[in-house]
Amino acid sequence: MTTVLEARGLSKAYGEVQAVDSVTLSVDEGALFGLLGPNGSGKTTMIKMLTGQTRPTGGTAQVLGVDVTADPVGVRARVGIIPEQETPPSFLTSMEYLRFVAAVRQIPDIETKADWWFDFLDFADKKDVLCKDLSRGTRQKLMFAQAFIHEPALALIDEPLINFDPIMQDVVKEYLAGYVKKKKTIFISTHILEVAEEICSGFAILHKGTLLHTGPVADLTGRGEHLPSFFLSLVRKDRHA
Amino acid sequence: MLELFHAMMKEEWRIHSTMFGSVSFALFPVMIFGIAFMGAFLVPLMQIAMPGGNLALTIHGSYLMLGIMVGGFGLLGNEVMNRRFGQASLLAYSSRSLPLTAQFIFANFVVKDTIYYFFLWVFPFGFGYLAASPFTGVSLAGALLLLLTLALAFLCGLCTVFFLSTVYARVRAMFWILLLALGAGGSALVVLTGTNPALLFPPLLIYHAFSWTVLVATCAGLVLLFAVSTALFSPESVGSEKRHRDLYRPLVQRLAFLPDPALAAKDLIDLYRSGSLIGQMIFSFVLPLAVIWFFLSLLAPAFPPHGLLLMFAIVAGLIASTMYTWVTMFDAFGSYACLPVAVSRLIAGKLTTFALLQVLPALFIAIVAILAGEIAYLVPAVVLGLSVSCYAVAVMAWLAGLSPNVLVYDVRVLAQYFVLVGIAIVIFTAVAFAEPLAALASVLLLIPAWLFIGRAKARWDAVDPVGF
Repeated sequence: MTTVLEARGLSKAYGEVQAVDSVTLSVDEGALFGLLGPNGSGKTTMIKMLTGQTRPTGGTAQVLGVDVTADPVGVRARVGIIPEQETPPSFLTSMEYLRFVAAVRQIPDIETKADWWFDFLDFADKKDVLCKDLSRGTRQKLMFAQAFIHEPALALIDEPLINFDPIMQDVVKEYLAGYVKKKKTIFISTHILEVAEEICSGFAILHKGTLLHTGPVADLTGRGEHLPSFFLSLVRKDRHA
Repeated sequence: MLELFHAMMKEEWRIHSTMFGSVSFALFPVMIFGIAFMGAFLVPLMQIAMPGGNLALTIHGSYLMLGIMVGGFGLLGNEVMNRRFGQASLLAYSSRSLPLTAQFIFANFVVKDTIYYFFLWVFPFGFGYLAASPFTGVSLAGALLLLLTLALAFLCGLCTVFFLSTVYARVRAMFWILLLALGAGGSALVVLTGTNPALLFPPLLIYHAFSWTVLVATCAGLVLLFAVSTALFSPESVGSEKRHRDLYRPLVQRLAFLPDPALAAKDLIDLYRSGSLIGQMIFSFVLPLAVIWFFLSLLAPAFPPHGLLLMFAIVAGLIASTMYTWVTMFDAFGSYACLPVAVSRLIAGKLTTFALLQVLPALFIAIVAILAGEIAYLVPAVVLGLSVSCYAVAVMAWLAGLSPNVLVYDVRVLAQYFVLVGIAIVIFTAVAFAEPLAALASVLLLIPAWLFIGRAKARWDAVDPVGF
């Protein structure tokens, strides 16, 4: 198995606040890996560091063989990212935004690819509407399309399903499951444990910036345990430690 | 109901103080106080070269300009605020969930901003002059009067532009009618009586000859403008399913000669579709420069031959450099965080769009040169204005990266900006005043500008991008 993402002692401090504290983890090719944790546990900061959006204050990380500190733009060129808050530019239409992404990423044949995504995520009627006038769910669809339109070897998604309705959640879950079968990798952060148990092959639990556990979901279910109860007992124990 | 106002004041303080530290922000009015205090000692010396009336005119004109520059509340929709401050949800918008009317929330927002700017700029300056008065021989009453009239000058600019920008956002046709009426009135005054409208500026009238009648009439006018603007303003951003034709693809093709047409096309579409291109051009460029022209023309006797046009070109260049804030106001780095774009590439992209916009000041200076009958000095004036603009924007990019609107209140940033731009302006004003054609030498400013841009890219790539 090829390792596509490897963090060693990765840390981030904002002044006196230690958002992420010496996290070491690795993700193999073809995994659908879930980073789990309560609100404020450091999940978003981890994704930001792994995608070169913010610099670590300690440790190292390699993503698809690229050092996130030495070449953050190189990392972002190779991966797909859906940030926690969807931020397509206000005054471009959905279609113009995908053209903009294609121009920046130098993606050929954008018209065909964009049309596929508009049909697949069922928002073709919004392709000429300004991003600022889109609903939150439609913005999330657009951000989803921009993250996968260049078919990256690795996609990092912060809360992938949070703004989708149940039908779209099902479509997206199916897409993610199919995507990793093509030897691509997906790294998601979420605090919806049932979804993580349903779709993830591996997981890590982060609490107060510290890694409490990492391993395959199958190990857990093989022991007859469920991810939500395992997560809750681990986090509660850590809270009282 | 004061709770909302109090919370907004705290919020404004925290937005700036979290950017560059409480002390650095708190020192801003102290710096303005220091400039006024020390400047007060120079007044007797300056009056040797410049009559006292001209000095008062310059200071009042500057505070009118400050009010004009900050008064475009009517142009601020949700979008600019939301995108500038990223994930920060401002009280002006989040308090809609409270049982308060939109007008009440907005009135609080404007009063808060007015008081905030007053204590950042107006009061420290007036107080500095006041504090120096025992040592400079200026009477206490004179210093107090200056504090009052500067405050009025600031409020005149702010309330007038607040009113005009609200009308512009609400009923475009009415705005043009108002603007035409103002222009026609001003022109009629000049043609029929030979009076420069700037001489009738109420704060100046009060400063030169205090009158309760003029003071009360001025205050009543300001209250009226403020009340009408607040009543007319609607801060709601009406979502629409309106379809827009594709502008991006043809624009990218048209801008293919640029190094990064993808970014330039996006910036131009932002300006065009937000309505800011016309709005900003009127309220942040044409209107201030028109006012400056009237004020500068009163100082013309103090200038050498052709000095008025060249001075105007320098001021136009300085104001044109603020067009960089037009192109940086719609997006924080967060919008690009999921794309392979470095901050240095964004700075280069914004500066490219800025360069395209420089056709506006070039045209404006050329038109003024023709109207002033100074066509022989059209080229030196345009070169001088554009060189100053390019140099000032390069300094701004180096000091503030993609956040010039916010970092301007960091006292270290502003002090460095004043020094770096001030030195260049003093040198090239002296050169242009000595020999008008030598204004062409200002093209030399492009060399330090180039160096500053190179340093800006390296500097801001090394800094962790923040939300706002």
